[in-house]
Amino acid sequence: MGIIDLDQLEVRLANRTVLNGLTGELRGNAIGLLGPNGAGKSTLINTLLGFHLPSNGTARVFGLDSHRDRGQIRGGIGYMPENDSFIGNMSGVRFVRYMAELAGLPPDVALERAHEALFYVGLGEVRYRKVNSYSLGMKQLIKLAQALAHGPKLLILDEPTNGLDPMARTRMIQLIKDIRKEGSIRLLISSHLLRDIDETCDEVLILKNGQIAALCNIEEERRSNRSFIELETVGATERFSVSIRGLGCECACYPGGRIKLILPDNIEARDLYVIASEQGVQIRRMNQRRDSLEDIFLRAMDNDMERMGNGRLQTQL
Amino acid sequence: MAVYKHSYSAYTGKVTPAWMRVFVLSRYAFDEAWSSKISIGLLVFCLLPCLTSIVVIYLANNPLAQALVGAKGNQILAIDAAFFLKTLEGQCWLALVLASWIAPRVITFDLADSALPILLSHPISRFGYLFGKFIALFVSLSIVTWIPCLLLFAYEGYSSPIPWVVANLHIAVGLLAGSIIWITLLAFIGLALSSWVKWRVVATGIIFAAVFIPAGVGGIVTAVLRTQWGFLLNLPFMISSLWQRLLGAPAPINPRWSLPTGAIVTMLILACIVCIGMLNKRIRAREVVRG
Repeated sequence: MGIIDLDQLEVRLANRTVLNGLTGELRGNAIGLLGPNGAGKSTLINTLLGFHLPSNGTARVFGLDSHRDRGQIRGGIGYMPENDSFIGNMSGVRFVRYMAELAGLPPDVALERAHEALFYVGLGEVRYRKVNSYSLGMKQLIKLAQALAHGPKLLILDEPTNGLDPMARTRMIQLIKDIRKEGSIRLLISSHLLRDIDETCDEVLILKNGQIAALCNIEEERRSNRSFIELETVGATERFSVSIRGLGCECACYPGGRIKLILPDNIEARDLYVIASEQGVQIRRMNQRRDSLEDIFLRAMDNDMERMGNGRLQTQL
Repeated sequence: MAVYKHSYSAYTGKVTPAWMRVFVLSRYAFDEAWSSKISIGLLVFCLLPCLTSIVVIYLANNPLAQALVGAKGNQILAIDAAFFLKTLEGQCWLALVLASWIAPRVITFDLADSALPILLSHPISRFGYLFGKFIALFVSLSIVTWIPCLLLFAYEGYSSPIPWVVANLHIAVGLLAGSIIWITLLAFIGLALSSWVKWRVVATGIIFAAVFIPAGVGGIVTAVLRTQWGFLLNLPFMISSLWQRLLGAPAPINPRWSLPTGAIVTMLILACIVCIGMLNKRIRAREVVRG
């Protein structure tokens, strides 16, 4: 059983299908939720929290139905919304204590955990100030503190680095890494920033137009990826590309002598130089790199799932 | 998690039962409502008429005072359904003033900074959330309505030299029922209107307007069409009629303009349903994007 199980999940809002037939099992310790605006990331989070009733299919969190058992699910979830969401008239510690009590902590324990959570996220010194006097970064941190205070099993972070300056972002990312490292909390992080997901997550779910464009383990995906090579050549590029295809490379040619190719494990870059030399082609530049999350994301945006299964550069070829 | 260690650890202790969370909301809403000095000032102001009533009850049961005012004064100092009707009316209209101030405090802080997604992501339903706020408002308004009224009734029962309580028990029932109907309605109106307005001062004004503007319109309808049905928009008139019937006090108005009890109750239920509809529309964790 995964942390989150989706089975033909369909959510319709205002006569529009926002999530369409999502099926998948999310097992990672830190799951990234990626997708362009309107892809359905926030709707999926809201559905998992039981705010939206699926029109078809089911979503399960820790094996519990997201709508039927929403009370039980919410008890084990810490949620940090994307937008401003707090009670500005309260002091930081009172706000976090209130949220912890709502999650089921007795008042005295809630107060203790509120102090601890605020110190943990770095708001210890300002915990008696009213929340509406906090800066944007502090507001993000207090949302994280209230999500953590009751010790949830699953922490849902919707755009946690939204609006943060580089230093605050680094601090937030480090906090998320620490929480992940501690091990008792699973994370679901929705973000537009690939770098954030890349740094914090081990599994990624990419949504596009309410459908799953990709669901993969980032580490495994990286390991399975062969080397990408970008070449800039002068000479008989077409003939050269035919020859390197003969070696078993997948490649695509672009104007200006640019070639993108994927090198099989048994072929080395040196072999390309040998072929180029034989055919009188000059290799002016060679750029070798591994697949990044950005590649996975862009590929998911370009191709549908079937195409992905058949080969990465199939569309280009 | 420890303050000095700055590290995180999961919580493994016991949690409170789910039904207790409603009272957490009530407690915090109650604190918020009474954290203002104006709230305390209004409470004191609302309880001042009760002091007058206590003095009147004391004088009515004091032989020396009765002798001083004479036979004509006995009518003034009569403690009966009419006396308690006046007390109830006074307290309930003061409760409207208090409700218009504290109802916005109970709910608008949550809405001003969009706290609903966070609040409702906890194990609490929308009904539970509203019920918690309702309890806070109901308890606050009880302090100035049925509680002092019943205490006055008990004081009269204690002070009266003749067995008075049993013979007038219907007055106590009327006081309780009339107050509960009124503060329930006030709580619904206060919460519903406050949930649609972010600014507290504006919400206060709108609560007053919601009670008195339809009453004015109803008055115009009654005057122009020469029909008593215009009073169905007149909340003060309807509720006063209901209190008078509940307490069994003599009707102070022209019977030609009276409304059937069924029509009054139907209108009050209708007002509550409209308020519930407004709250249902507004109290959501997320707004549904149209289009």
